[in-house]
Amino acid sequence: MATLAEFLPYILSGTVWTLGLVGGGLAIGFIIGLLMAVGQVYGSEEIKGFVHAYVWFFRSLPLLVLLFLFYWGVFPATGYKLDPLACSIVVLGLRSGAYQSQIFRGAIISLGGTQLLAARALGISEPKAVFHIVLPQALRISMPGWSNEYAIMIKDSAITFALGVLEILTRTRYVVMATHEPLIPYFFAGGLFIVLTYSGTKIVNVVYERTKIPGLVGRM
Amino acid sequence: MPIGVALAITLAVARVYGNRPISLLATSIVGIFRGFPAIVTLFIIFFALPDVGVFFSPYWSAVLGFVLVTGAYQSEYVRGAIQSIHVGQSLAAQALGMNKPQEIIHIILPQAIRAALPGISNEIIYLILYSSLASYIGVEEIFAVARSFNSLEFKPIEIFLTAGLIYAAMATVCFAGFRTVERKLRIPGLEVAR
Amino acid sequence: MADGEVVLKVENLHKSYADIKVLNGVSFEIDRGQIKVICGPSGSGKSTLLRCLNLLTYPDKGRVWLEEQEITGQISDVNKVRQKIGFVFQEFNLFNHLTALKNVSIALEIVKKMKKEEARDLALKELRKVNLGEDAHKYPAELSGGQKQRVAIARALAMNPVIMFYDEPTSALDPHLIGEVLDVMKKLAQEKLTSIVVTHEIGFARSVADEIMFMGGGTILERGRPDELISNAKHEMVRQFFRRMNELYRREGE
Repeated sequence: MATLAEFLPYILSGTVWTLGLVGGGLAIGFIIGLLMAVGQVYGSEEIKGFVHAYVWFFRSLPLLVLLFLFYWGVFPATGYKLDPLACSIVVLGLRSGAYQSQIFRGAIISLGGTQLLAARALGISEPKAVFHIVLPQALRISMPGWSNEYAIMIKDSAITFALGVLEILTRTRYVVMATHEPLIPYFFAGGLFIVLTYSGTKIVNVVYERTKIPGLVGRM
Repeated sequence: MPIGVALAITLAVARVYGNRPISLLATSIVGIFRGFPAIVTLFIIFFALPDVGVFFSPYWSAVLGFVLVTGAYQSEYVRGAIQSIHVGQSLAAQALGMNKPQEIIHIILPQAIRAALPGISNEIIYLILYSSLASYIGVEEIFAVARSFNSLEFKPIEIFLTAGLIYAAMATVCFAGFRTVERKLRIPGLEVAR
Repeated sequence: MADGEVVLKVENLHKSYADIKVLNGVSFEIDRGQIKVICGPSGSGKSTLLRCLNLLTYPDKGRVWLEEQEITGQISDVNKVRQKIGFVFQEFNLFNHLTALKNVSIALEIVKKMKKEEARDLALKELRKVNLGEDAHKYPAELSGGQKQRVAIARALAMNPVIMFYDEPTSALDPHLIGEVLDVMKKLAQEKLTSIVVTHEIGFARSVADEIMFMGGGTILERGRPDELISNAKHEMVRQFFRRMNELYRREGE
């Protein structure tokens, strides 16, 4: 048991990496998702088609497969050498973008076309209208769905253990291999994930409450 | 999978209707299995439980693990659906003289399950994709096979793309299947009456 | 049918929600075959009263007897009591996932343990009674408000209750649909089905009610025969209420 106590901080330090994975993935996903959502709602047929295919691809293939596909296949093929962490963040980001695009799309649509019409009537051009009028509202409405995405991300980050990224689960596995005591480390890891999930969603909820537009509740 | 659904319904009913101890128990069960990453749950069942004397084969570990995880997620959908049902339905059932079990089984659940169906079918599709994780506890499923091919003949793009597309095909077929099921089960006006 | 036999007796009912006293000492009796109408402004406790009487809500104080049995004490099975009371809701509360026919027959099957065929036949009979025989296989969403309420009445009737409660049955209906429901209720009243009706429909009250009870502030302010109360009430609040209702509707009798 004494040795076990030594190892737990090791697992704990994996939190930084986990958060890095999640943060990076969500950030990339955010940009991609937002762009694609706007494209899907306001774009041409080709853009819509592309987005549709992209979303289908990244939502229909298991994360594990995507990680391997990109790490062993795609990146080497393009000549770039990416380490497991960076590759994981990219893949998580690409995938999250697919999911986030649907969240934002739903929010934009639920606002209805009236906001845009009103803006156009005032003489504001379409891009500016979307940027200044529609998006601020859509982003706020999206927050509940977004906190869900965060929760999923935290758990998906664990899958990157397959590439050896030194996040929580990888470290837990090392500890288990070293001590031959699987029960406590795994439960500890699980608990850690719960704490991360819970605190993260709490934060998003607080932000949501603070920036909420009175009376404007989205379809979530 | 069906076991997962049954478990989900039980958990949801327990959370909404159970008295405090039962409700708390159900809520914590759901909390744990939604909070742990699926892979962690799998590892615990396969690697950690033997320590306390509980042995499962790789396949059954995976089954148990996924049942618990998906049951927990689905119970959220069912619970939401149950709570979205207008209280008047309960009142009418009681006014006719039905007791609680009768009310739940004949009136509330038929409507709740229909409402939860989109969420449940979504979950099942996730299940198909996450089954790839089972390869790490020794189950010989698609991803495991893909990896062994890859170690024999290093052609990662073809191999993993194919594997991925197989999963994708299964998911898409299921998705279409569920849409048909939903359409068949739909009751005129029921989707509106939420 | 013994006239003068008391079906329901209510004694000193009290009920509060949070700090609000909704029922403040309500007492009355109703004999078999009688039709009593309860009127009054919103918030006077009318709905709460009905719900306390069939124990959908429990009163804080007071006693209620249904056919000699005290239902406010310790009763073994509250559901048996509810079977004897037919309840029609303002919002209909039809079971959305069941056809009209199934709505009426389901309680017969589950609660009264009737055989499926028996229940179906009885349900069909009740539906025909409310003029909905042809629409038995439709779902609630496919029915108009008036049709829904009639199904609700059939559903309550099928249980063969000793008394019917109507909680503002026409308040949620479009004006042109009110008539069909009132006609059904009148027919049932003529068959001497003991009923308590909470409603604003003065014309209905005037033509079928044996007595009107006016509720305000949680108590029965005044009671009496319809013509007396409507044109000649003693209590100021009651007088004003009926005066305003008459102005609003300008309806002469029914």
